[in-house]
Amino acid sequence: MSEPASLHFENVRRRFGRLSVLEGVSGAVETGGMLLVTGPNGSGKSTLLRCLAGLLAPDGGRIAYRENGADLDAAARRRRIGVVAPDLAFYSELTVAENLAFFARLRRVSPEKGLAVLDRLSLPLDRMAGALSSGMRQRLRWAWALLHSPRLLLLDEPFQNFDAPGERISRELLAEHLAAGGLAVVANPFNLDFDHVERLDLGR
Amino acid sequence: MSSDSTWAAEARRWAAEAASVFVKEWRCEFRTRYALNTLALFAFTTLVVVSFSLGPLGVMKSQGTSVLPVLLWIILLFSVAAGLPRAFVQEEESQTATALRLAATPSALFCGKLLYGLTLVLALEALVTPAYLVMTSLDVASPGLLAAVLAAGGYGLAVGSTLVASIIAQARSKGTLFSVLSFPVLLPLLVLAVELTRGAVTGDPGGVALPVLLLYDAAVTVAGLMLFPVVWNP
Amino acid sequence: MKTLFAWLLWIWISLVIVGAFFYAPVAESFRVPGSSRIVFFHVPMAWSSFLGFIAAAVWSVRYLLRRDPRHDRAAAVAIQLGLLFGVLATVTGAVWARIEWGAWWNWDPRQTSILAALLFYAAYLALRQSVDDPEKRGRLAAAYALLGLVVTPFLFWIVPRITFSLHPEPVVNASGKVEMDPRIQHVLYASGLGFAALFFWVHNLQCRILTLWERKSAP
Repeated sequence: MSEPASLHFENVRRRFGRLSVLEGVSGAVETGGMLLVTGPNGSGKSTLLRCLAGLLAPDGGRIAYRENGADLDAAARRRRIGVVAPDLAFYSELTVAENLAFFARLRRVSPEKGLAVLDRLSLPLDRMAGALSSGMRQRLRWAWALLHSPRLLLLDEPFQNFDAPGERISRELLAEHLAAGGLAVVANPFNLDFDHVERLDLGR
Repeated sequence: MSSDSTWAAEARRWAAEAASVFVKEWRCEFRTRYALNTLALFAFTTLVVVSFSLGPLGVMKSQGTSVLPVLLWIILLFSVAAGLPRAFVQEEESQTATALRLAATPSALFCGKLLYGLTLVLALEALVTPAYLVMTSLDVASPGLLAAVLAAGGYGLAVGSTLVASIIAQARSKGTLFSVLSFPVLLPLLVLAVELTRGAVTGDPGGVALPVLLLYDAAVTVAGLMLFPVVWNP
Repeated sequence: MKTLFAWLLWIWISLVIVGAFFYAPVAESFRVPGSSRIVFFHVPMAWSSFLGFIAAAVWSVRYLLRRDPRHDRAAAVAIQLGLLFGVLATVTGAVWARIEWGAWWNWDPRQTSILAALLFYAAYLALRQSVDDPEKRGRLAAAYALLGLVVTPFLFWIVPRITFSLHPEPVVNASGKVEMDPRIQHVLYASGLGFAALFFWVHNLQCRILTLWERKSAP
């Protein structure tokens, strides 16, 4: 991850029916940097992350992700991002290993990276994804997010349901990601002690 | 040329993606048996009802050739409507669609789901058609044409249903909406398929209908490949 | 400018109505020759219904390219008007069928085809009703409209060729060769033009009404 990368978003707006959730939000994140998005419940943190991930189309504003000086369109951007979010679910009829292998084939990578992360997080590979506890599901989300060595991590409540070891290991993974030149946007009520942390407060 | 080889490599990777979607669908299906059970149960229930209501003496030969092909395709249509949309509705309802949206190439995903739907429909036809012919005592003059109609018509059912399923999966009231949206799309297919099935029963080759059916299949396939990325991603 | 257009349109259609009853002759081949005058209204209504479909498809493509909500609204209005004109065409057609063949509905391929087109329009509107988010609604509706565009020609053009048709060939002829009295042709095409202009005029009005409505109800 040596080439420079950046994410810029300007004046992002999004409403649901009559409720205006995002009213002109702007921010930026550079190589090795992290943007911490804070705010009370309902302030639009998840909505913003969904827009950045390309899962939701904003009503207005611009989102630009650049790698090595070139702007990537939404489809290319999707390949470069890893997402951890509470509503991310996997196939309950498949085992953990089968889930990762499937998504690895879709991402056109080998599942090694994801399996290595799972190993660090001590998640059993042969457990059915439907039989996982909420903490284990969160570990699987991290493994899935890092499967394809993404450049940009979009983390929505990334330590939710974690016990102490889980939280420690995932913080390490995040630090390693940033140290290697990755970018991260994190929506999290808890404080994170990292360098190069920009803050974006969506509170009113 | 290097550009040719990268194109070929890209095509291979795309095909591998589509294949992995296909395999995943069937793996999940074998572990739950949901679609197979729904399709089979629905098809056989309808089959029994049809056969029962036609009576123990069956239908007069002259009426049979006009009525029975229609009923066969109605059974197939409604069985498909009962079991196929789940391919996309399930993804949205169990929230696995988010992961799929971020990881999959839309065209490969569409083809993988389409292949799964096609194999379901063909399996359904293989089960239902012989049973139907036996239960209604229908003699088929040209079985070859019947097989061709079932293949081409079955493909049409699969591709149309897969695309419509992807649309309604993101809307409310998915069950009724699927029937409402798919019927106008599948109507030309049904008209052609019934016409050709009638031809297979009477031995009449049916003229231009089979090429037109194949043209319909091709047109909806192209439409699906072009429209699915729009439907799938914002 | 718009008022001028509206006046011209009213004058044109008034002339068409006059021409339909006093200028054009009746078609002698019909069982009740006087009933043939319905062609000047029934056929252009069917044409306008199909025009609605084409317009909706064009607006849908424009929406998918630019994602401008006004294009999405234009597509929806076009389908609504297509439905309206289509229902009128079906009703006038049924009246004519009753007079000519004794039954309101015969399931002949053209009647079946226009009914299928109406089902399509209704399905499109049902889809729009089932999606709350405007961006998703526009996207899904546009995709469905374009799917319909791909599929409907099969109904209109192919089904009547394959199956027997009760529809009078000289009057409603798909192959292009027209064998009717020139005066009937004059009024028919003039009426077609008038109904098409009427379609776009009402479309424009309705789009403007909806825009105002939305502006009024926005917070």
